[in-house]
Amino acid sequence: MEEFKSSAIDCGVVEAVQTQAFDVVVIGGGPAGMAAALAAHKAGARVAIVEREQHLGGILRQCIHPGFGLSHFKQELTGPEYAQRFIDQVRATDITLFLDCMVIGIDSGEPTEDAAVHTVTLMSPASMLRLTGRAVILAMGCRERTRSEIKIPGSRPAGVFTAGLAQRYINIENLKPGSRAVILGSGDIGLIMARRCTLEGISVEGVYELMPYANGLRRNVKNCLDDFGIPLHLSTTVTRVIGHDRVEAVEVSRVDEHLAPIAGTERIVPCDTLLLSVGLIPENELSVAAGVELDPRTRGAVVDQSLQTGVSGIFACGNVLHVHDLADNVTTESERAGAAAAAWALDGGAGVGATGPGCQLTVSPAGIAGYALLGRITAVALTKLNFRVRRPVDAARVRILAGDEELFAGKVRPFKPSVMESFPLPAKVIQRALDLGVSEIVLSVDPVEEA
Amino acid sequence: MTETFDIVIVGAGITGCAIARQLARYDLSICVVEAANDIALGASKANGGLVHAGYDPAPGTVKAQVNARGCELYGTWAQELGFLFCRTGSMVLGFNDEDGAQLEQLRCNGLANGVPELSIVGPDRIHELEPRASADATCALWCPSTGFVDPFEVAIAALENAVANGVTFMRSAPVEAIEVAPGAGDGSGDGTARFTLVTPTGDVRCRYLINAAGNGAANISHMAGAEEFQMVWRQGNIVVLDKEPRALMPLYPVPTPVSKGVIVTGTVHGNTVITATAAVRDPGDTQTYAGDVNALLTGARKLVPDLDTRRVVSAFAGGRPVIQGTNDFFIGQSAVVPGLFQAAGIQSPGVASAPAIAERMEQVMRDAGVVLRERDDWNPIRRAPDDFDRAPLARKEELIESDPAWGQIVCRCETVPEAEIVAAIRRQPGAVSVEGVKRRCRAGMGRCQSGFCQSRVVAILTRELGCNPSEVLLEDAGSWLVEGPLKGVR
Repeated sequence: MEEFKSSAIDCGVVEAVQTQAFDVVVIGGGPAGMAAALAAHKAGARVAIVEREQHLGGILRQCIHPGFGLSHFKQELTGPEYAQRFIDQVRATDITLFLDCMVIGIDSGEPTEDAAVHTVTLMSPASMLRLTGRAVILAMGCRERTRSEIKIPGSRPAGVFTAGLAQRYINIENLKPGSRAVILGSGDIGLIMARRCTLEGISVEGVYELMPYANGLRRNVKNCLDDFGIPLHLSTTVTRVIGHDRVEAVEVSRVDEHLAPIAGTERIVPCDTLLLSVGLIPENELSVAAGVELDPRTRGAVVDQSLQTGVSGIFACGNVLHVHDLADNVTTESERAGAAAAAWALDGGAGVGATGPGCQLTVSPAGIAGYALLGRITAVALTKLNFRVRRPVDAARVRILAGDEELFAGKVRPFKPSVMESFPLPAKVIQRALDLGVSEIVLSVDPVEEA
Repeated sequence: MTETFDIVIVGAGITGCAIARQLARYDLSICVVEAANDIALGASKANGGLVHAGYDPAPGTVKAQVNARGCELYGTWAQELGFLFCRTGSMVLGFNDEDGAQLEQLRCNGLANGVPELSIVGPDRIHELEPRASADATCALWCPSTGFVDPFEVAIAALENAVANGVTFMRSAPVEAIEVAPGAGDGSGDGTARFTLVTPTGDVRCRYLINAAGNGAANISHMAGAEEFQMVWRQGNIVVLDKEPRALMPLYPVPTPVSKGVIVTGTVHGNTVITATAAVRDPGDTQTYAGDVNALLTGARKLVPDLDTRRVVSAFAGGRPVIQGTNDFFIGQSAVVPGLFQAAGIQSPGVASAPAIAERMEQVMRDAGVVLRERDDWNPIRRAPDDFDRAPLARKEELIESDPAWGQIVCRCETVPEAEIVAAIRRQPGAVSVEGVKRRCRAGMGRCQSGFCQSRVVAILTRELGCNPSEVLLEDAGSWLVEGPLKGVR
């Protein structure tokens, strides 16, 4: 009987493979990887960045629109400009770059106490390489949801692109993907691409959004759609792709409150191109293979206050951890991960998150909070929690609960799904939870009935 | 210019490719004529890749004979042609006594069809064989001979081997008319070509014509003035899920009168496939339908409750070429036009049966008096091209050493380097489209569905084929991907 062989990498010993030692190995050279590497370097660690493209910068290289850097640099920059600031900084250090290299596996060896060293195997056009590091930072970013994942029925012609692929064709390859586009999804990339297409002479027939509200940032709805007279059709989705060889039209339908298409509302919109901006998914195949536990809600790693995953010495930051709204927030988060990874690598984690044996709390979302990050609290300290709401509300408050007890209640204010919220959890709240003897706290976002 | 061959095979689906490979060992000039621009673009394209064992066709039918025999032949074919084949065995799961009775009937059917080692097993054994099978299953038909293949790979490997042995492949050559010269059609006499096939790419003449045109078989038969088949387009939707650490054993529900029902199976690449719905639809309809896709996901969860059906990588549809009024294959010489050999109505289990259909076609032709003289230079072996992702570490090193393009990963999801894509284009017959590249080396087959690598594959095709990006096709004629340069960009 033929034996099934999986395509899993054979991590057996190959003597010829060259090994280089570092304190911190960063996987990914986009905004997250660069910020993490710089922070780790600043903390005194010997750092390597592994990047699969020939250039640093990641997806920012194709984001030629402005809107980056407003919080980090107090200045409006384009994606490539924002990236270049970090590229210049990285280039000015002795951070070792492995460009055009793809990581094919992370081997963490036996989970022993302190001597754990991770081995990252990668391929380059020159040869296979092994990098070792006391700490590894996962910064691989995310990918776009595809047509198949959202199950758009119909035929399968050419002309259906994820918005990011169309962005690459236009901004990197200087190629025009079509003449007449429909955009499904009002995420930021979809909105940005509606404007970009219009500027390149591609007629945008409309942006269609399944939800009853726009998914992108308010400023993008205004700057990219309203200013160009591009209609946004809410509670409407593409229910069929039409065309045998190339897209000829799409059928759109209105949806009910359960997001199900309403029969009889179908409308045919002629077009030759369908762009999809229907969500991003952290790219964690490598993480899973390395034994990192994922949160089914974020589809990123479960991390603690130092952004360390369940595997000691492996950290995660940026869009591979959870999908951010702004690159600036990626930078801030990644700097934390870089500093923590360096501390772990250099002094074995002493001081990193100060993992007290007495502090082990999990954090779960409730109410309209779609997720809660960090998933795990291991130290009594002021702690930044991130979350997003699942639907927009005009009035709601954040509450922290332990069992039946409310430990904290925030101010009543509006919340939007497009914004990645950041909530500072005071140390005394964590202490209170520990005093109560609970193992879990709940971050609940609860709409408030307006008086 | 009209070329003349001893044999023309119409259709480069898995059936036509298998027949070409089978006949290539004989001293005959053979041409495979394909309407599309690549191999396996019809019914073979939308297929779950299962090598069914053959316990369900009605005993005595052609289907029953070629299915069981085809399944048996796959081991040898996989070895000779260098394609992946996993003989994992399968289970038909039953959930109550009624199902149990049907399973027993199926087992008897299988025994009559010559399917080996069938047995009925209980919950403990079910769990042992496939721990992820539903705990609600009370009984199952365990069939050790079932397996799975990548149907594209089988068709491509078979035709590559045929071409290496001298077979001509004519693509983008839809047959528009067939002229049949009067005569006995037994190939006797002066051996003049009897059939002339008119195609936009050029006409071809032949002494013997083999109709393996899948859903086009009725039309070919009609054009030749032979049997009038009425075809039914029994459409099926199929869903592919992302890779799992371990490929699932094929799990079937108790079959219905028209189909095997919604089956869940692993693939040779580690994905999970859910196949297939069955609904009679308009000929040519390859649309997916929301209702069908939902039925697949629901059906699959019944067999494998822990299946993460959110992780859909791809959903597609195709038509099973069913001859109206019979559920059977038609493999034989035309009773109306001698010299025309038909392999029509090759619906499910066409993939499983392909090697045996080829074998049977060979026998039919021999019986009809076609002279089959073995060549002494026939090479049955097709060496599989290097598959970087599956290659052991040492081989990866060697490849990168031989050419840095082996270290340049283009498709991150399936770990496909540039050199492998170039090889897919340069193979004979090679890829001429983005999807053709994908079928040969899996670039773009993964979870991002080419979102990251499509533009790079387009650039490689542009370079290799010496064309402009606007001339690069996703699939067949008309499926352009980009219109051309942006305004102001030269």
